[in-house]
Amino acid sequence: MVELDSNFIMNTVFPRVMKAALMGALTYMVVYYLPLALLPSNLPLSMLPFDYKGQLFQFAMISVFFAVAGQLFSKTIIGHGFGIARAIVIVAYFLVLSNGGILNLTVPVEDFTLNLTVDITIILLMIIAVNLLSVAKNLLGAIGILTEKSTDMDLH
Amino acid sequence: MKIATSMLTVATIILWVVILFFSVTAVYSVMNVGVNIGEAQMLPTSTGIKFSLPFSINNNGYYEIADLNLTTRVTDPDGAVLDLTETLVDVIPQGETVNASHTIEVDIDDILSMNHLTLMLNDSNFTVEIFTGLNFARAVPVQLSTNVSLPWGAPFADFSVGELSVSQHNSSHVEAAIPVSFENHAIIDITGTLKMEAYSNSDQRIASGVTDINVASNQNFGDSILLYVSAQDASKLADGGKLHILFETYLFTVDWWEPYG
Repeated sequence: MVELDSNFIMNTVFPRVMKAALMGALTYMVVYYLPLALLPSNLPLSMLPFDYKGQLFQFAMISVFFAVAGQLFSKTIIGHGFGIARAIVIVAYFLVLSNGGILNLTVPVEDFTLNLTVDITIILLMIIAVNLLSVAKNLLGAIGILTEKSTDMDLH
Repeated sequence: MKIATSMLTVATIILWVVILFFSVTAVYSVMNVGVNIGEAQMLPTSTGIKFSLPFSINNNGYYEIADLNLTTRVTDPDGAVLDLTETLVDVIPQGETVNASHTIEVDIDDILSMNHLTLMLNDSNFTVEIFTGLNFARAVPVQLSTNVSLPWGAPFADFSVGELSVSQHNSSHVEAAIPVSFENHAIIDITGTLKMEAYSNSDQRIASGVTDINVASNQNFGDSILLYVSAQDASKLADGGKLHILFETYLFTVDWWEPYG
């Protein structure tokens, strides 16, 4: 029984944990470091209506959490549940962050104040669409797993 | 089921790539849009004052800029709208530069027709509200707005009527001299006539006088208007009353009443 457990840990758990750790690190690099590195140095971050680096870090943490959880429970119903949760959390996060798609910025310029309103509804809709696809994909994956399980049960 | 899942995965990846590509290129394009604002010019016209602001937009980004709309609204300190001007640029294609000019014409007759005598006599500040709207890549509408305070120089600032002095003109008439002074704070020269009519307390017209005025911008005017009054009306003039002051220039005519005595 102890040998079986160690085999299970070595053959199943350990590779999953390693893959999850690798996926988490990769997600952190892509979601946090890459946007920071690509950010033009002359972009006035102070005029943004939110703390860009702080928000990016928050988003990176959410992405890393779901990447790790998704990898740990990959090809399971729980993994697909995490996939659906990730899509919903990302949609909610962008909806809140972008104030429903309307960004309002106030930029002080010498003696007067410039009010800038950017309507990013289309980009937000694209993000919602891609996450709805993700929800559909995970639902199909979960249904697929359940179907396989029920078929296995019938055979035995 | 697996094929459908795979197709959805592919579609998700493609959409993410499209979103990232559009976002990155849009930010890059915005940073490569050059806006040059020329020197604002304030010129006198045949009917008032014209403010002209030339500007050019150099679109070096990846996407066109459409429906550029620059609107200015000039309001007086009471919030009354003096001018509402709109400048439209239909499209600024990618890689091209568009030159335009936003011109605001303030008609002095309009100001007078709105019963803004106080603006003729007192310096003030107009509020200029500037709204700019554009459609970036025909997908991302952007709006910019700001308020700017614009000083208004009154053409008859610090207008004052001095003490009336009376002297004998001839055997039948006396000469009344009424000193008048004001400062032309406007950017336009005031050229025309100043007519003054004296009325008694019982609203009876006693006398009138007229003088030519030619006051350059930011110059002072000080002169006495001479009124010739018959000897029997001289006492009415001394009792005080009111003066009807009438400025007639090639741009506008303005009149008001001032007490005297």
